Amino acid sequence: MAQYQTWEEFSRAAEKLYLADPMKARVVLKYRHSDGSLCIKVTDDLVCLVYRTDQAQDVKKIEKFHSQLMRLMVAKESRSVAMETD
Amino acid sequence: QFLTELTRLFQKCRLSGSVFITLKKYDGRTKPIPRKGSVEGFEPSDNKCLLRATDGKKKISTVVSSKEVNKFQMAYSNLLRANMDGLKKRDKKSKSKKSKAAQ
Repeated sequence: MAQYQTWEEFSRAAEKLYLADPMKARVVLKYRHSDGSLCIKVTDDLVCLVYRTDQAQDVKKIEKFHSQLMRLMVAKESRSVAMETD
Repeated sequence: QFLTELTRLFQKCRLSGSVFITLKKYDGRTKPIPRKGSVEGFEPSDNKCLLRATDGKKKISTVVSSKEVNKFQMAYSNLLRANMDGLKKRDKKSKSKKSKAAQ
């Protein structure tokens, strides 16, 4: 299991992992209000990448990333461009 | 429908516990693949994803397709951002406890 300290590295590695095998990879988001923490995990059941944060500024990044992956998943054709306005 | 449930889930967990959300690509399978031969009448569809949410006790889920994704995403992003507001702000001066009490 790989824990990432910087969002940059995590998002790059996570997107790569997903693109390598979209059917296997999944994204899990865990939010704890009592802790004030957010944890995002991307795994394909072989490799596991985790990023934890308690910073409000990361919420937006994580939420955008989540949406990005959602878009990749519903895109019919596999293109290398992540964001599409169709 | 799912979004209303999700909102309620977040609100319920505000004082304690976690909210887990899972996102996975979905190809429309409803039956497991049989060991030999091919599945009858099954066409894998590529443009859907499965979204699940739970608070550890209650589970909700929905399938999002490319047609709904735009509308869904707008509401969903707002929902995530509005509810995940208990995190620390970068600024050391602001007290996060105050904003919690105001809710």
